[in-house]
Amino acid sequence: MNKDLEHNFVTHLEQNQNIVHKVCRIYTSDQDSHNDLFQEITIQLWKAYPKFRGEAKFSTWMYRVALNTAITLYRKSKRSVKTSDYDLLSFKISSEEYDYEDEQRLALMYKAVKQLNDIEKALVFLYLEDKSYREISETMGISEVNARVKMNRVKTKLKKILNP
Amino acid sequence: MDELELLKKDWKKQEDKLPKLSYDEIYKMMLKKSSSIVKWIFIISVLEFLIFAFAELITRLGKSYEKLEEMGYNSSMSIIASIISFSILIYFMTRFFSNYKKIQATDSAKLLMKNILKTRRTVKYYVITNLVVLTISIILAVTTLFYGNVNNEFANQVLNGDIPKYVVVLMLLIIIVIAIGLMAFVYFMLYGLLTRKLKKNYEELKKLEV
Repeated sequence: MNKDLEHNFVTHLEQNQNIVHKVCRIYTSDQDSHNDLFQEITIQLWKAYPKFRGEAKFSTWMYRVALNTAITLYRKSKRSVKTSDYDLLSFKISSEEYDYEDEQRLALMYKAVKQLNDIEKALVFLYLEDKSYREISETMGISEVNARVKMNRVKTKLKKILNP
Repeated sequence: MDELELLKKDWKKQEDKLPKLSYDEIYKMMLKKSSSIVKWIFIISVLEFLIFAFAELITRLGKSYEKLEEMGYNSSMSIIASIISFSILIYFMTRFFSNYKKIQATDSAKLLMKNILKTRRTVKYYVITNLVVLTISIILAVTTLFYGNVNNEFANQVLNGDIPKYVVVLMLLIIIVIAIGLMAFVYFMLYGLLTRKLKKNYEELKKLEV
């Protein structure tokens, strides 16, 4: 029984691991911390898994646990040392088809997102993931109106960082 | 185009570049031990309960209360003190565990933070209650020393004026201040550093409601 549960969980997570990687990408800035956070999210997902009854989509449920771990539960391990910002590296490979100007703007944009606080990062992340304001509000535990207001503030803040 | 829209487009393209972990790698990670803040809060809280429970036990086993009785203190006082301190311990531990069980990573971010802070606060109140009880018992002991029928060498010296009363009061004040100061320091180190990020994020979410 327990083996079945383990197998189901790992299969589920293997298929949906992109979500966790993306959360790690928003909240960490080097590969070591990325792996460290990924591990903690995996542990937290596994701990919560027996209570997952399939009433929500597995992926929806994962967003919550992954973000909660990144924002609240995770304690940075001491070994993580800041190395080069790999977001920028990976971005360069992916953006061949963009023109130079767009490329520059994107690079600055990723840098700006890194400067946001934990809550703002969560909002941006859910926005980038095409989540509705209803889903954002449920994940964060704030009202839909407040989620919209906050999102607009984050947009303004990003603009300010980009055009000081 | 809006900057965030541009980012969104790129974000989707990044999907193919994300790392891919194998079944075995995920399986290994799943079995690792968590180092989450909740785990640390749990460990520290249980330690705090144990420290105070042990202090009580050591006082009993060390026959400190019998010694006080020999000095002329009323024996019913020690019984009352025990009943009070164990009721406090049981009350706070029950509340702590019921709050702790409410912590779920599947709750909304705000509710999760609220429940963690609540659990931690229970233990904080426990420690404060203990300090208050300690202070009250010291004050009671001193009052009895000054005005009660206590009969021992130290009390006699105080009553005869060999040791001035203000020296006794001052000494006790210093003891209380050192004890509370030490507690505050330990609290700042353990609790402050551990929950600083959590509190900041909780405030950020709460701020939206105003």
